[in-house]
Amino acid sequence: MDKLNVIQKTVMTIVLATLVLIVVLPLMFFTTVSFSNAAEMSQFPKSMLPNFNVTVKVVPTEEGEFEVFYDSGEGYTSIITSKRASKLETHFTRQYAVTVPGEQLIEDFSQTLVKGPMEFTYKKDAFYNFKQFFSIVPNASTALKNSIIVSLMTILISLSIGSLAGYAMARYNFKLKRQINVSLLIVRMFPMVGISIPMAILLIRFGLFDTLIGLAFLYSIPNIALTSWITSSIFIGINKELEEASMVFGANNFQTFMRITLPLAFPALAASSMYSFLTAWNDTISALILTNENQTLALVVYKAIGTTSSGIQYAAAGSIVLILPALVFTFIIRKYIGQMWGGVEL
Amino acid sequence: MNSKDNIQSTNDSSEAAHKKAIISKKIIPYLLLLPVFFYYAVFWLFPVLSGMKEVFTDINGEFTLFSNFKLMLESDLFGEAVFNTATFAAVSVVLQYFLALMLAVLLSMKFRGSKLLMFVSMIPMAITPTAVAIIWKTGLVRDGWINSFLMQLSIIDKPIVFMNSEGLAAVFLIILIDTWTVTPSVMIILIAGLQGVQKELKEAAYLFGANKWRIFKDIIIPILKPSITTSIIMRLIAAIQVWAIAVMVLGYSKVPFLVERIAFYADVVPGVDTSSKIAFTLSFTTTLIVLAATVFYLMASKKRTFSGGEK
Repeated sequence: MDKLNVIQKTVMTIVLATLVLIVVLPLMFFTTVSFSNAAEMSQFPKSMLPNFNVTVKVVPTEEGEFEVFYDSGEGYTSIITSKRASKLETHFTRQYAVTVPGEQLIEDFSQTLVKGPMEFTYKKDAFYNFKQFFSIVPNASTALKNSIIVSLMTILISLSIGSLAGYAMARYNFKLKRQINVSLLIVRMFPMVGISIPMAILLIRFGLFDTLIGLAFLYSIPNIALTSWITSSIFIGINKELEEASMVFGANNFQTFMRITLPLAFPALAASSMYSFLTAWNDTISALILTNENQTLALVVYKAIGTTSSGIQYAAAGSIVLILPALVFTFIIRKYIGQMWGGVEL
Repeated sequence: MNSKDNIQSTNDSSEAAHKKAIISKKIIPYLLLLPVFFYYAVFWLFPVLSGMKEVFTDINGEFTLFSNFKLMLESDLFGEAVFNTATFAAVSVVLQYFLALMLAVLLSMKFRGSKLLMFVSMIPMAITPTAVAIIWKTGLVRDGWINSFLMQLSIIDKPIVFMNSEGLAAVFLIILIDTWTVTPSVMIILIAGLQGVQKELKEAAYLFGANKWRIFKDIIIPILKPSITTSIIMRLIAAIQVWAIAVMVLGYSKVPFLVERIAFYADVVPGVDTSSKIAFTLSFTTTLIVLAATVFYLMASKKRTFSGGEK
C-alpha cells in the first residue's frame, strides 16, 4: 500500500538528496578550512577539498637570490625574493604551513642555479593549524583539560543525585509526589542564563567563583532533574518481581539495587550521562559569566572567533577539536536517545 | 484475665512493629529525595531568590519595584531585542517543525539506505553551538565557502555580501543557521512518535476508504501529539534563549536578542553598576517569558485534547 509512483519517487529522491547536501557540504568545506594554510585562505574562490601539497616555482635572480612564485588560482605571481634560509623558512611556515628547515629549501633551490627555473612540491604539515591553535591561543590546552574535567564532574553529580530521585519517583508512592514531579520539571525548564548571573554571587560567597567545580554545580542543575526523569521511566519498566526474587534469596535493599536494578538501568544512565556531558561541553554563556582564568574549550574557541579576523583557520582547527568528542559521544549512545523517545532504531 | 492481657499486649507490640516498618518504609522515598532537595535549595532556589532580590533593589540596596525595569526598558536596543527574539522564536519553531515533520515522514518509510540517511541527518545536532557559529562564519564572509561554491557552479558571478545584513534579513540568516542545527533533534522525536503508529491502524483506515491525507491528519497527527507537545516546548524554550550564533557570526549589537543583551552586559560592559542591574533584570524577564510560554503551551494543548475528547 505504500507503493509510490514515479513522480512521488523522484520528488522524494530530490528532497533527500538536498538534505544530504545541506548537511554534508558545510561540514566538508569547513574541514577544508581547518586544514588550509594562510595562502589558501586568501584565495577566492576557495578550493572545496583539502589540499595537502604546496607547489612553488623558483627562479634564480642575477644577484644569486631565489625568486619564489606561487599560483593562487590566477597563475603564478612573485611572492618573495631572498637567499636567506631563515627568511624563506618563516615564509614557508607562515604562508604554506610547510615546516621544512630553511637550509633544506636553499639546498633544493640551488638546483635552479644550474637547471634554470623549476617547480617544487612540498608536503604541508597537516596538523599545523591544530598546533598553532594550541600555541597561539592562550590557555587552549588547559581549557581542553578543564572541559573534560567539568564534564566528568557534571556527569558524576547528576548521576549520583538524579538516579536516587528517579528511583524514588518510580518505586514509591508518597505524599506530594505529583508536586515534586512538577517542581522537577520547572527546574529543568528554567533557563540557564536566569541562574548563571545570580549563581556568580553565590559562588563568590562560597569561594568557588572561577573554579571548575563551581561550573559543574551549575551544569548539574538541569541535568539532575533530567536524569531523575529519564531514570524513573526506566526503573518503572524494570520488572519488580526480579528485585523481589533477589530479596527472597537474602540480598538486602542495597545489594539488590547494585546487582539487579543498576545493571538493568544502564541504558538510562548512559543516556543521561550523555546529556550531562553535552551540557557541560557545549556551554559558552555560563562559562563566560562564571570564569576568568579557568576557561573551558568552548569559551576559548568562542573568544578566538571574536578576536582573530585573520587566522580564522586556527580557530576552525580548534573547533574541530571541540566537535569531535561531542560527535563521537552522541553517536556512541545514539541507541539510547532512540530508546528514550520510545525505541527508534538508529 | 491475665492471659487476655498478654494477648492484648502481644497484639500491641506486633502492631507497633508493623507500624514502625511502615513508617521507615514511608521515609525511604524522602531519604532518596533528600540530596535533590538539598542541592536545589542551595544551588537553585538560593540563586533564583538572590537574583530576584537584585531585580527589586536599586544600586544603593533600597527596595524598588520598577526602577530596574525602567532601566532595562530604556537600555540600548531593548525594543529590537524583544522584537527579534519574538520573530526568531515564532518563525524558527514553525519552519523547523515543518521541515522536521516532512523529513520524519519520509525517513520512516523503510527504503534502502534510510538508516544511513537518518544517521547523516543527525550529524548537525551533535555539533557544539560554538562550532556551528564558526562553520557558518567561514561560509558567510565575502571570500567564504558559500560564495566560493556558488561561484564555481557559476550560479553567481559576484560574491554576495552576507555579513552586512541588518534587521530582519540578519534575523532570518540566524534562523537558517539555527534550523540547520536543531531540525534533526526535532526530527528524532517525531520519528520515535511515528514508530508508535501501528500499521494495522493505517491498513484499517485504508479499508474504510481513507486517503493518505486523511490518514495523516486523523491517525498519524493525533498519535504524534505527545511527541509534538514535548518537542515544541523544548524548541520554544531554546529559541527564546538564542544568542550564541548571533554574536559569534555577526558580533554583539548587530542582531540584538534578549539573551544576547545579557551576555553583552555581562561580557562587554561588566563592572558598571547599572549594567549588572540591567543584566539581572533582563535574565529575570527572560525567565518569566520562558516559563509563561511553557505554561501557556501546556494549557493550550490540554484544552485542545479535552475538546477533542468531547466530540
